[in-house]
Amino acid sequence: MSWRLNINGEDRRSASDPLTPLVDVLRDEFFLTGAKVVCREGFCGACTVLLDGRPVMSCLMPVALADGCAVLTVESLATDGVLSPLQQAMEQHDAVQCGMCFPGMLMSLTSFLQRTPKPTREDIKAALVGNICRCTGYERIVDAALSVASSG
Amino acid sequence: MTAEPGFYVARSLPDALAALADRGSAAIPLAGATWIMRAGLRQQRQHRCYVAISTIDELRNVEILDHEIRIGACVTHAELATSLASLPECRALAQAAAGSANPAIRQVATIGGNLCAQGFAAADLVPALICLDAEIELETPRGSGRMAVDRFLELRTGMEPGCLLRRVVVPRAARRSVHVRLPLRKAGDYPVAIVSMAASLSSDGIVTGATVAVGAVEPEARRWPRLEADLIGRAIDPLHAAETAEKHSADFHGRDGIEAPGWYRVKVLASLVRRAAQAIQGNL
Repeated sequence: MSWRLNINGEDRRSASDPLTPLVDVLRDEFFLTGAKVVCREGFCGACTVLLDGRPVMSCLMPVALADGCAVLTVESLATDGVLSPLQQAMEQHDAVQCGMCFPGMLMSLTSFLQRTPKPTREDIKAALVGNICRCTGYERIVDAALSVASSG
Repeated sequence: MTAEPGFYVARSLPDALAALADRGSAAIPLAGATWIMRAGLRQQRQHRCYVAISTIDELRNVEILDHEIRIGACVTHAELATSLASLPECRALAQAAAGSANPAIRQVATIGGNLCAQGFAAADLVPALICLDAEIELETPRGSGRMAVDRFLELRTGMEPGCLLRRVVVPRAARRSVHVRLPLRKAGDYPVAIVSMAASLSSDGIVTGATVAVGAVEPEARRWPRLEADLIGRAIDPLHAAETAEKHSADFHGRDGIEAPGWYRVKVLASLVRRAAQAIQGNL
């Protein structure tokens, strides 16, 4: 009754019930509290993580379906204390307010920019349809993402 | 991973069918799980057992044949959009798959789940499949068989235990199709109303066949026979199509929801029909 997960490069095991949402396993068992629990219905994106490189709503992902998969959370983005280019851009553009949506925003955008290196503004907005922000109005987030794309 | 009584990972289709048969009414298939994991929000109890089918290879295939396209039940929306991108006759389904919900859901949610999710009125793939005359292949304890998607929608609430939707089959035909949806936000989201339209045209641009499916307006997607009849026998005329849709809008009784009232969903149908007709006209 255990599930094998590679989380941020480390092999881990969880003995949770198979339908336990992955976000709860990450937060409660492994203390990776970057992914946030908000809507629990795959709408707001605050729980977004990468599963085998794909962005998924971890609130709707049973841990059993993540068995054998590689999970990347927001904690994986910085390397040796150095922020990723996307994180640096968000800081430079003063894009963060309360921060609740940001782990999900960063994971969605990290995956998106890897697959779409030269996006338009509309492309980025479409990519962020599943990441709700109540604070910022999104424009500086989009500006920051475009700055990373144009510098890449 | 070791065996968990309430959760079984099937390795093949026969394995899945045997597991479902063993567990009877206590078990249902589980693919992407995006609908099942929201059961608590719908005040529904979860089943006692789930048979996970998303790793079965034959359920993840898209086969593009000369006369039909066979789509395994566990193909995700994202995979489907990519597979169908170069097939103009399936544009409605490709558009539906590429624009449903949001990017993260599209990576996980499956075509089979979209068809089997009871109570999900805003399912994008369903009206697109209806307008393309798609059929489903169903495995049951008494054998397998095909049926039209709209027939499956009628039967799915009363299906016997042990059934499994194996794949969706879309006939390839010389037609133009489009999937038009009105989301809450311009960039995308769940739709308030959907119009999926497919039309076959003669060499001089006269509509010889038309199917129009409306989704998200009522609890279940369905066709619009009076609009279809009016489209046939004339050239595609977006303004006329919109006027006809407005005239027959009382054919639908919009559902009230937290995101939009029922009257609004019906009110926008004429505009969506106009957009759909314009898109089909533009493909000439």
